[in-house]
Amino acid sequence: MGERTIMEARGISKSFPGVRALDKVDFELKAGETHILLGENGAGKSTLMKILSGAYAPDEGEVYLDGEMVKVFDPRVAQRMGVSIIYQEFNLIPYMNVAQNIFLARFPKRWGFIDHKKMHGDATELLSSLNMKVDTHALIADLTTAEQQMVEVAKALSIQSKILIMDEPTSALSERETEQLFSIIHQLNRQGIGIVYISHRLQELDQVGDRVTVLRDGKFVGRRSIRGVTVDELVGMMVGHSVREVFQREHQPAGPECLKVEKLCKGKRLQDINITLRKGEIVGLAGLVGSGRTDLARAIFGVDKYDSGKVYLFGNEVRDFSVADMVEWGVSLIPEDRKNQGLALKLPVAENVVIASLKHLFPAVYVGKKKEMTYVSKYVDQLRIATPSVSRIAQYLSGGNQQKVVVAKWLCTKAKIFIFDEPTRGIDVGAKSEIYALMATLVKEGAAILMISSELSEIIGMSDRIYVMREGRIVSELSRAETTQERIIECAMGADEVKRQKEHAGTAQTQSN
Amino acid sequence: MRSYLIRIPSAIWVILVMMTIFTQASSRYLTIENIINIIQQNSILLILALGATLVLLSEGIDLSAGAVLTLSGVTCARIMQRLMDSGSSNVTAMVAGVSVGLLTGALMGAITGSLVSLGKLPPFIASLGMMGVGGSLSLVLADSTAIYIHNPVYSFFGETLDKTVQLPAMQYLSMPTFIAIVVFVIAWVVLYHTPFGRYIVSIGGNEQGTRLSGVNVTFWKWMVYLVAGIFSAISGITLAARLEAADSIVGIGWEFDAIAAAILGGTSFAKGKGGIAGTVLGVLLIGVARNGLNVSGVPSLWQPALMGSIVILAIVFEVIHSRWREGLR
Repeated sequence: MGERTIMEARGISKSFPGVRALDKVDFELKAGETHILLGENGAGKSTLMKILSGAYAPDEGEVYLDGEMVKVFDPRVAQRMGVSIIYQEFNLIPYMNVAQNIFLARFPKRWGFIDHKKMHGDATELLSSLNMKVDTHALIADLTTAEQQMVEVAKALSIQSKILIMDEPTSALSERETEQLFSIIHQLNRQGIGIVYISHRLQELDQVGDRVTVLRDGKFVGRRSIRGVTVDELVGMMVGHSVREVFQREHQPAGPECLKVEKLCKGKRLQDINITLRKGEIVGLAGLVGSGRTDLARAIFGVDKYDSGKVYLFGNEVRDFSVADMVEWGVSLIPEDRKNQGLALKLPVAENVVIASLKHLFPAVYVGKKKEMTYVSKYVDQLRIATPSVSRIAQYLSGGNQQKVVVAKWLCTKAKIFIFDEPTRGIDVGAKSEIYALMATLVKEGAAILMISSELSEIIGMSDRIYVMREGRIVSELSRAETTQERIIECAMGADEVKRQKEHAGTAQTQSN
Repeated sequence: MRSYLIRIPSAIWVILVMMTIFTQASSRYLTIENIINIIQQNSILLILALGATLVLLSEGIDLSAGAVLTLSGVTCARIMQRLMDSGSSNVTAMVAGVSVGLLTGALMGAITGSLVSLGKLPPFIASLGMMGVGGSLSLVLADSTAIYIHNPVYSFFGETLDKTVQLPAMQYLSMPTFIAIVVFVIAWVVLYHTPFGRYIVSIGGNEQGTRLSGVNVTFWKWMVYLVAGIFSAISGITLAARLEAADSIVGIGWEFDAIAAAILGGTSFAKGKGGIAGTVLGVLLIGVARNGLNVSGVPSLWQPALMGSIVILAIVFEVIHSRWREGLR
């Protein structure tokens, strides 16, 4: 690791409507080091990364590159100053070849035409300098994810980047590919390139990082050297000590089992899932984004097919079910992506509310406006949806009220099982507690709720039991009594495994001694 | 007052402006006869445009409408001619011909619908292909010409009503207009008072969300094209009755008029916005423009250019107008 600081951010703040994403955050990067940015979902990592790469301008604070203050925040300016970013979603053109992708927008030219020979020559040289074996004539679409990532790295290097920001680069890689990536990162470090590495995986830190900066709720918590920091300390930093109870609900004894999933598998995304849900219960489903929580919800709801396993509803096994079948059974899904999956924004509240229950409401096919309006009004009043009329276009409602419209849709179908996927995403604080109160009322009246949430305070405050998922598996089931924020984070990020490995290594060492 | 005026659809403003201009250009323009003429001439286009509107509302498009119109007229005429040649009565021949015509439209619609809903082809491609198929079949079945029909029972569908119904002002109501009104009422009930209609709009508004609400999106999407096919067939059969002939290329380009009418009436390509009342205005707008250009003596070679310009201007105005309306909320 060099001693020269090549990037420094001081007192960075950034707000979006309703959220303070970053609050006076500091960050620094030295030449030739890999600096890990660690934090929960929503801790502010992406926002910081976007500011460093010029996609956002900060509200307050300064960014220095090689000691020079950045005045214009623009991705192209940042690139010219040597900062490149590799997003989780790659920015490659699938039906162009490797060399074309690397030199896109800067094609080497001869007499005004693209100099293919030079382009492929340069690309090959670049790739081999990184020990990457990729044919420069291959189409991006034909490459594996790992190879595509290498092309992204090569593309960044082709513009003489001195700083490379990588957003969860290993999330889609196999173990072997991960090792390969790490060796490339080490090599880049040796060439003096600084890398900002964003990750969720505590297991990786030892192998790739030099220093780590932890963010929590948009605030800078601390900076540590990887050597000498323990997993417990990092988890502690990420969680903090202010356990804020969002909502106090009365817990009641659970009733009979209404949903049971046995040995459900779907490729790599869901592996051997066993869960149960009882009447009157709120069961939390915790885990990182991409751990398979939404996949599980979609599989149970009949949206996506699964490979094997059994699903029981109210004691009956159901097979080959569609969404319509699940709705018939009284299952409902309140999706995370409200705007694309929950409701039709351009249509009135009333049409959104009745869409799932038209068949039952109007068995004679003719839809009577009057009956429909009385019916919809009943639920609008019951859920206290703030709208001037039921014919209001859904788009003009607040996030909280839109969410209530989605819930009203399922109350119309007489749903008994509610799967909430991030129920309070994008909803302001006041409306949040209303959604919590609504969920509490639902279970009190005999419904069952499976709640996916990335907000620890929410999941701890609301759930009777919590399942934690990691990489497509349920890694633990926590009762209300044993749940702490630390426990959930440890399970979700694999800290328990790191500890186990270390203990194992420790015992191995003592034995050999 | 301002907010009241802005609620008046943009198509009405355009129609009023055009009528003012055409009245200045020709004294023959603003007469009862001419207005009635406009309505009668465009009734058949309205039927086709209603189908186009339903498809657009589901976030699809049906380019085969004109070809299906032609083909249905041709199959209807072909069967009728066959049966009459072999001595069937006019009524039998008419019933058989019309049934086969309607069936043709339904079948074509069902195929387009299957390609879109089951085959997951983009509606543009699926209906473009079916447009070719329909156009070609029409030429083959009609031997590249027109099939003339001499069947008074059938021709009734194309006539004015004063001969049959002894009521005042009946010379102003023709069968095509009457059929268009009936189809409009049916479309209205289907769109606004059946689950099917709700599903159409909801699929257009948010297909994924509708699927996640437990609606069988595949089936209902298929159904939209089927209904649009039947509407095309109704217009084809009515047109053939009015012309007393089924021409093998008569419907070329009609699909674009139909789609343009729907859009002029405020139906949008996306998000399930719009409705069939606007489509009536859109059809009238096209009718008023075309008739006005004729009556005021614009050379026929220049008429398509002016029609195109009018449609573009009217759509630009509709976009601006709908932004004003949104701003008022």
